[in-house]
Amino acid sequence: MARRPVNPPAEGWSLTIPHRLWTELSAHLFPFGGGAVLLAGHAEGARGPRLLAYDLITATNDTAYIPGEYGHRALAPSFVRDAAVRARDESAAYLAVHAHGGLDRVRFSSVDTASHERGYPALRQITGQTVGGLVFTPHAAAGDLWLADGSRTPLAETVIPGGNLLRLRPCPVTATPAGPGHDRQARLLGDVGQATLNRLRVAVVGLGGVGSILVEELARLGVGTLVLIDDDTVEATNLPRLVAAGKDDIGQLKTDLAARNAQRANPRIRLIPKATRVEHPEALNELALCDWIFLAADSASARHWVNATVQQFLIPGVQVGVKIPVDSAGCVGQIHTATRIMLPGDGCLWCNRLIDSTQLAIDMHPKAERDAARYVPGVPVPSVITLNTLAAAEALNHFVLAATGLHDDDHDHAAVIHRPRTRQRDLQDPRQDANCRWCTPAGRLGRGDSGSVVQTATL
Amino acid sequence: MNTLASAITEAVEAVRAQFTGHPVEVVPDGTGGVFVTVEDVPVGPSYAPAVTWLGFQISAAYPDADVYPHYVGPLSRTDGQSHGPAVQSTGWRGQPALQISRRSNRRDAIVDSAALKAERIRLWLADQ
Repeated sequence: MARRPVNPPAEGWSLTIPHRLWTELSAHLFPFGGGAVLLAGHAEGARGPRLLAYDLITATNDTAYIPGEYGHRALAPSFVRDAAVRARDESAAYLAVHAHGGLDRVRFSSVDTASHERGYPALRQITGQTVGGLVFTPHAAAGDLWLADGSRTPLAETVIPGGNLLRLRPCPVTATPAGPGHDRQARLLGDVGQATLNRLRVAVVGLGGVGSILVEELARLGVGTLVLIDDDTVEATNLPRLVAAGKDDIGQLKTDLAARNAQRANPRIRLIPKATRVEHPEALNELALCDWIFLAADSASARHWVNATVQQFLIPGVQVGVKIPVDSAGCVGQIHTATRIMLPGDGCLWCNRLIDSTQLAIDMHPKAERDAARYVPGVPVPSVITLNTLAAAEALNHFVLAATGLHDDDHDHAAVIHRPRTRQRDLQDPRQDANCRWCTPAGRLGRGDSGSVVQTATL
Repeated sequence: MNTLASAITEAVEAVRAQFTGHPVEVVPDGTGGVFVTVEDVPVGPSYAPAVTWLGFQISAAYPDADVYPHYVGPLSRTDGQSHGPAVQSTGWRGQPALQISRRSNRRDAIVDSAALKAERIRLWLADQ
């Protein structure tokens, strides 16, 4: 396949399509053309409003995608009606999709535009939601959105978080050369790759042994904005594992230490420290505005709330962990590090039995009751900086290659398990429960602001 | 006025229905969940007193999170024996309590509701 353009994040309205949905849509659109409707939730984003595709309704050629009265083909009225009713009932955006020829550039034809002007005002009135048209080539996308408030706007970009974090625009972006500080790095990532990193907003949840390494390297890579989430303070036993920590830091917030290190690594970085647990609304609201989430906290509550944000707001992430089993006699078991890619619409942490519902219940207790709520008291687990580095490096390399489109395979998002004692390295594909309440269209996938992470009701 | 996820308000209503006739106190936990206390719950002749309160938290992560552990007022066994496994003296929300630690293995978030678990806990305690 021809090399795709790499586009930095754009300002304005965006659409995110889960990788599995994009794979299905691509097979329907290319190379012979086809019609479809995407249903999408809504959320605010760091650079503008976001549409979050969660389901695809494909139109069967000749019955639902039929010869058009004005253009080549059109969606059949009954198909449009049924899809619009679903959009209305599910408070979802209705986005009609078709394909054009070409590869890196695309735009609507005059026939397309005339069709939008004939149909979308009425469709918007029927659904009460944002409606619009999208046109794709394999490497480009354009959109014409008719917003629920009566206005009309173009779609700035379409984001597909898969093995690579694709950003499709109507035509490729050219970037100015990276500054001298990142020259050697940009020789691999490209100027647009470097510009992409500079425009990303990345969260690190958990700023301990793994998180402090992530923050240091993300800042040096040139990531533009870091959201730092941890409510913990530095203890003496943390010092050997926290990057650039000293005795004077004992008792200080880990967010303060991480912010100081990030600033020293990159004085131009924008920092958003949140010294709270991740389930706090302030932290969740910041997470929902990110382009990528690193989960470096090992509690069940951190796993649950990050997993929820990944699926509900279609934000890719990676979970990083280190397991060092040592029994009461001091015997060391199979050490392993795990780097799990978290893709919206794919097998999530619940599907893969990586969250314990009882432990989650305990984690959600007030701090004063949390320890007492454990039937068997917890004991400190081993932690070693070299093992943390192994897991962090895997996660960071995956991120930087994904963000700049350098992975060989868009479909590869297997977890990486390292076993340092035997020097084995294995890949594990995630499994998915067909009816998962988080990562399938039957659940909260792509529901954005109307999903349960932020949805409230009055008691 | 407190706002809560609809799953929690539905769970609270189910608890009220499960324990119809019993006073049920519901207090927001400050992070999107609630503390629930059901009053005048019978725990059987094995205990003195034979009626007490049953308390638990339905957290903001419900129904994905289990409801665990449960708490009852201080109880003594009428046979003079000590409490068995999974029951230990502790405190809950500033008052002395017995903690009942019964996790739900192979829990189904849809089926294993807060109301059903509260009743199961009550029955389990009465059977000890």
